[in-house]
Amino acid sequence: MITLTVGLVATMVVADAASDVLVARAMKQIGEVTSFRPRALLGTLGRMARSPSFAAGIGAAAVHFFTFLALLSFVGLSYVFPATALVYVLATAGARWILKEHVSPRRWAGVCLVCTGMALVSIS
Amino acid sequence: MKTVLFLAVAVAAQAAGNICLSLGMRHLAAAIGPDPAPWTGLALLALTSPWLWTGAALLATFTLLFTLVLSWTDLSLALPVISVEIVVNVALAGWLLGESVSPLHWLGTVLVAAGVALVVGSARDQTPAQEGQPA
Repeated sequence: MITLTVGLVATMVVADAASDVLVARAMKQIGEVTSFRPRALLGTLGRMARSPSFAAGIGAAAVHFFTFLALLSFVGLSYVFPATALVYVLATAGARWILKEHVSPRRWAGVCLVCTGMALVSIS
Repeated sequence: MKTVLFLAVAVAAQAAGNICLSLGMRHLAAAIGPDPAPWTGLALLALTSPWLWTGAALLATFTLLFTLVLSWTDLSLALPVISVEIVVNVALAGWLLGESVSPLHWLGTVLVAAGVALVVGSARDQTPAQEGQPA
């Protein structure tokens, strides 16, 4: 049971981070949204719908959601929520090494503080 | 400035959305009473709840704004910044919903706020390539 739980938690966290990274990659490929008129926004939504990265991001988000539901069927929220805080570190690592973003030491420190704070809020 | 504005509105929408969903579920629980209602009745109550619809609309707004921001901002900047929503939510839960907030909860929110401040400050950090260029 412990192996299954750890496996599901790992799947949930990785899927959540992958979803963020894939959606971010799709939006970078689509290009900066500069016009917020309804017609332009509809065009952007159309390009998002046709983006393979965006579709993969939505798929990863679905995996995250259903893994989360599966976990809740046999472990408590107090166990699942603190683990979700790891998403911040994992998604930042994905941004650094997959999206090639510059992540300074100060930004890493901030992400680690956010991760610790979110875990504390989740367990308290 | 555009990033700050969009993320601020996104965070406000997410926090307000969560409060609306919380209020909606409380009203639902109060309407059901001690006897569990049949699933169809429960679904009907949920579908006709203005709190739940408002909450869902606000969370959809948050998702749209966050996705748009990712078209021009780094994920490593935007993702930690939206976690400031937890600070807003803890404050609103204590103030609007009358929930008790433990010291550990407050400590967590302080750490999140400090982390977000560091991440926001890092937006001005130079890349290694920029550091090699003359000012």
